[in-house]
Amino acid sequence: MVDYWQTMILPMLEGAKMTVLLFIIAILVSIPFGFLLTLAVKSRIKPLSWLAHTYIYVMRGTPLLLQLLLICFGLPMIPVIGEYLVLDRFVAACLGFILNYAAYFAEIFRGGLLAIDKGQYEAAQVLGLTKWQTTTRIILPQMFRVALPALSNESVTLIKDTALLYAVAVPELLHFAQTAVNRDFTIVPYFIAGAIYLVMTLMLTVVFKWLEKRFKFE
Amino acid sequence: MALIEISSLKKSFGELQVLKQITFDIEKKDVVAVIGPSGSGKSTMLRSLVHLEEINGGSIRVDGDYLVQEGNYAKPQDIKKITAKMGMVFQHFNLFPHLTVQQNLEIAPGLLKTEAPDAIARRSEDLLQKIGLADKAKAYPANLSGGQKQRVAIARALMMNPQILLFDEPTSALDPELTGEVLKVMKDLAEEHMTMIVVTHEMGFAREVANKVVFMDGGDIIEANHPEEFFTNPQNERTKAFLQKNLK
Repeated sequence: MVDYWQTMILPMLEGAKMTVLLFIIAILVSIPFGFLLTLAVKSRIKPLSWLAHTYIYVMRGTPLLLQLLLICFGLPMIPVIGEYLVLDRFVAACLGFILNYAAYFAEIFRGGLLAIDKGQYEAAQVLGLTKWQTTTRIILPQMFRVALPALSNESVTLIKDTALLYAVAVPELLHFAQTAVNRDFTIVPYFIAGAIYLVMTLMLTVVFKWLEKRFKFE
Repeated sequence: MALIEISSLKKSFGELQVLKQITFDIEKKDVVAVIGPSGSGKSTMLRSLVHLEEINGGSIRVDGDYLVQEGNYAKPQDIKKITAKMGMVFQHFNLFPHLTVQQNLEIAPGLLKTEAPDAIARRSEDLLQKIGLADKAKAYPANLSGGQKQRVAIARALMMNPQILLFDEPTSALDPELTGEVLKVMKDLAEEHMTMIVVTHEMGFAREVANKVVFMDGGDIIEANHPEEFFTNPQNERTKAFLQKNLK
C-alpha cells in the first residue's frame, strides 16, 4: 500500500518541481520585461510606444494556450527558418509564459504609475533630483507598493496556468496526475494534484502578504 | 539689484491667459504675501519661478541670472542651478510617503551630495528640533497630522539651503486648528530674515508677517503695497471688494 502511494505521489512531486521551475523562471524574467514594456508604452518615442501598445494588445487579446501551441508547434512549420526554431519543449513553454505574462505585468505597472500623484514628481524636481534619481528613488518604490496586490493576484494565476504545459506535453504536475488516473482508474490523483497546487498558492500568498506588510510605510 | 526680478510675465493655457503682464521685484529678506481670488494666476506665477510652469513671455531673473529672458529659457543645466536657489512648499505637502521623516529631509542633499553625510545628518536633526518634531524622525508621513506634514515639508525645503522659500497655499489643505503651528514656523523663518513668497488666503499672516502684499486678480497685479497701507487704505475697487469679502 505504501509502495502504491509512492509510485503515484513521487512522479507527481517530480512534476510539481517542473511547475515550480517554470513559475520561478517566468516570474523572474517577465516582471522586469513587463516593466521595460511599461517604460516603452510611456516613451516619448512614438513608434516605440505604439509597438509596445500593440504587443500588449496582442498578448492579452489572444489565449495563452494558442501562444504556447504556436511557439511549440507553429514556429518549426515556418518555411526555410522553421528548422532553426525547434526549441526544447520546456524552453519554448518558458518563452511563451514570459512573453504573455510580461504584457499583464506591464499593465499592472502602468496602473501603479498612474496612481502616483504628480506632486511627487514636482517635489523631486524642485529639490533638484535628476530624472533618473526621481524614477529610481521616488517613483519606483511607490509604484511597486501600489502594484503589489495585483502582482500577487497575477502570480497565483501564473501558478495555475502552468497546467497549460499539459497541452504541449511537458511532464508537469497535472501530466503525472492524469497518467495515474488513467493507469489506476481512480480520481484520487486529481485531489492530490489539487492539494499540491493549493500548497503552492498558499506559500505564494504568504510571501506577498509579508511583502505588503513590509512595504506599508506606516 | 533685487533678488528676484519678474518682468512682463505672460502665460496662457490654450485660449486662457492666466498671467497677463506680471512685473514686480522681490528684495532680499522680503516676505511677500500674494493674495487674490482663486484662478487669479497667483499659484501659476509662483510655480513659474521654479520652472514647474513654462511661461510664454517675459523675464525672470534670480540673483542676477536670467532663468528666462524675453521668453527664452536658459540652458537646462543653468535652469537647474538657478532654481536650486529656491525651495518650495506645496499645498498638499508632497512628502515622499515611502520614506521616513528623516529620510524625506536627507534624500535630496544625500543624492546631490551638497554636503558631507555627517553634516547632512546633523542639519536634519537640528531642523527637526527647530520645527518641534525631533521625536518623529523615524515616523512615516502617513502617521503624521497635516500640520506636522507641512512642517516636515518646510524642513525638507530648508535642507537644500535655499536663498528664497516659496509657499503655495501652505495652510489651505489643513484643518483650521492646525494652521497655527505651520504659520508659527513660517513666522520664525521670517524673523530669521529668510526671503519668502507666500501665496495664501491667511489675511492675518499677510498683515502681521509680510512686509509686502501683492493682490492679483484675472492674471494681473492689481495692487501691491505695505500691509498696513494695503489693508487699511486699499486703492483699487477690486481690492476693496476682495477685502470686504475676506475680512469679516
